[in-house]
Amino acid sequence: MSVFTVSDIRVSYGKKQVLNGVTLPVLNCGEMLGLLGPNAAGKSTLMRALSGEQAYQGQVVLHQALKSTYKHKDWHNRVAYMPQTPPQESSLMPYELMWSAARALSLDYSDQALNCLIKDIFERLGLAEFATTCLHSLSGGKRQLVGLALAIIRDPELLLLDEPTSALDLHWRMVVLDYVRERLNKTGGAAIAALHDLDLAARYCDKLVLLNGGEIVASGTPFEVLTRDNIAHVYQVDVSVMDSQEGYPLIHIHRPIAQT
Amino acid sequence: MQASAQFDTHYRSIYVKRLSIIIGLCIALVLSLMLDLTAGPAQLGLAEIIQGIIDPQSLSLRHQIILWDVRLPDALIALAVGAALGLAGIETQTILNNPLASPFTLGVSALATLGASLAIVVAPVIPFLPNNAVLPAMALLFALLGGGLILAFTKFSGGARESVVLFGIALVFLANALTAALQYVASAEAVQAIVFWTIGNLTKVGWNELFIVSFVFVCVLPFSLRHVWLMTLIRGGEAQAKSLGLNVSRLRALVIFRVSILAAFAVCFVGAIGFVGLVGPHIARMLLGEDHRLLVPGSILCGALILSLASFLSKALLPGVIIPVGILTSVIGVPIFLFLIAKQRKVS
Repeated sequence: MSVFTVSDIRVSYGKKQVLNGVTLPVLNCGEMLGLLGPNAAGKSTLMRALSGEQAYQGQVVLHQALKSTYKHKDWHNRVAYMPQTPPQESSLMPYELMWSAARALSLDYSDQALNCLIKDIFERLGLAEFATTCLHSLSGGKRQLVGLALAIIRDPELLLLDEPTSALDLHWRMVVLDYVRERLNKTGGAAIAALHDLDLAARYCDKLVLLNGGEIVASGTPFEVLTRDNIAHVYQVDVSVMDSQEGYPLIHIHRPIAQT
Repeated sequence: MQASAQFDTHYRSIYVKRLSIIIGLCIALVLSLMLDLTAGPAQLGLAEIIQGIIDPQSLSLRHQIILWDVRLPDALIALAVGAALGLAGIETQTILNNPLASPFTLGVSALATLGASLAIVVAPVIPFLPNNAVLPAMALLFALLGGGLILAFTKFSGGARESVVLFGIALVFLANALTAALQYVASAEAVQAIVFWTIGNLTKVGWNELFIVSFVFVCVLPFSLRHVWLMTLIRGGEAQAKSLGLNVSRLRALVIFRVSILAAFAVCFVGAIGFVGLVGPHIARMLLGEDHRLLVPGSILCGALILSLASFLSKALLPGVIIPVGILTSVIGVPIFLFLIAKQRKVS
């Protein structure tokens, strides 16, 4: 059953067209879609349009119902967006931030249930020992994890993750994406993640979309999208693509291609 | 389970500690109020004052008048104005995400000064308004006008916080220039009166003014308390709050609206008392952290406490002389403020 379809999304800032008719592959229960593309390809704009922060033209359908038929609050309870910017540095503690988010959004948790939920999320994301450390004393990576925790707290059906692993080291990148995949399997939800790391995208995503200049260059399975030609065309990098023998492609980067 | 998993119990102990700091602030406030009530040229002891509050007839007529017409209104207006500025300060700082912001950054007090100067220099006769009410009325009107301008600009500019701060600063410069122009053409007595008003003074108010300021404060407070979770969430950053589906621009307009009213009423009777709305929230944040459930009451208490202590010192420092309280809040406030900034830089 299709969970989420996105077709012909157009967004412009003034006269500048940022997204030019973007259609994503149909997302089914438990699937993760990777959004790839160089800087300024339109990944974040697409994320903001889907989350409701950015006005757009086109069709966004969740469970056979158009986005416009959902109430603002209902949409946000179903679709959680983790922005690229992590929580800012302040003397606020991650634990306080989670509580204030749940209560400010009037989420329907009892105090005890909310406490358990926060504990569970923090333990899984390795934040338990930092829960009462001020945000300004945390590293960028830890704050990024807090941002992910904040997106997960309402138990959404669709997760929109804008570069969720950009500030994380190798270990935590994999922990985070493992955790997201595990949640999808458990809840039957879906996720869209904008990623810069091609290897991670190939490894964790069921489907990939390659964006460039607000248009889709390729979409499909990792093997279909991550070809030598596509990567050379979009990223101007010379690579060879190998088969990892574990079901996903491995990309070996040689050199940047001189731009003409 | 490892110790790190018990962070909720650890947080609870932090919370209890912060609650006890709030209680401590309340006690300090009562003590400061008592000190303030006993300070003054007439020899009135604490016992007599308490007795006089419970049973006014037990005091001599002279002492009754001193207590009920001078000491009590002066001491209580310090609490009311301090509390109002503390609340306005914390809300402004949070919603503009700027620790240097205060209601005064938004131009509220500069415009109040302009209104007061106009009242002093032009001395207009307003129908149905007694002459001594013209000055506070003009100050209030102009302060509210400033709030209205900021609000209109916030709506117009889409509510980006940097532009709101810049607009506030521009408004301050404009109001100061217009006040200076008025002073240029005014008589020496009028200039003196303007300067005196700008410094800030608690000793010219009575019960009516006290009731008005307290009433506005009590009306605004529930709205602030209703937003404590939202305001805490905003401290995690605007991008996060927006991503959760909150309309931050709308909230900003709402907060600026209520803060302007609060600050306008706070300064219109007592003059532009500096720094309370800036330092009060800072001290509260250092003591209580960012959880606005505690930070909002804490900031109110700190504001009231600072102004109450300043009011006491203004009478107690030089026997027989009342130093305008605005001078003390700045002279004491500036070193405290610099110390806090230095300490905060060290921490982060």
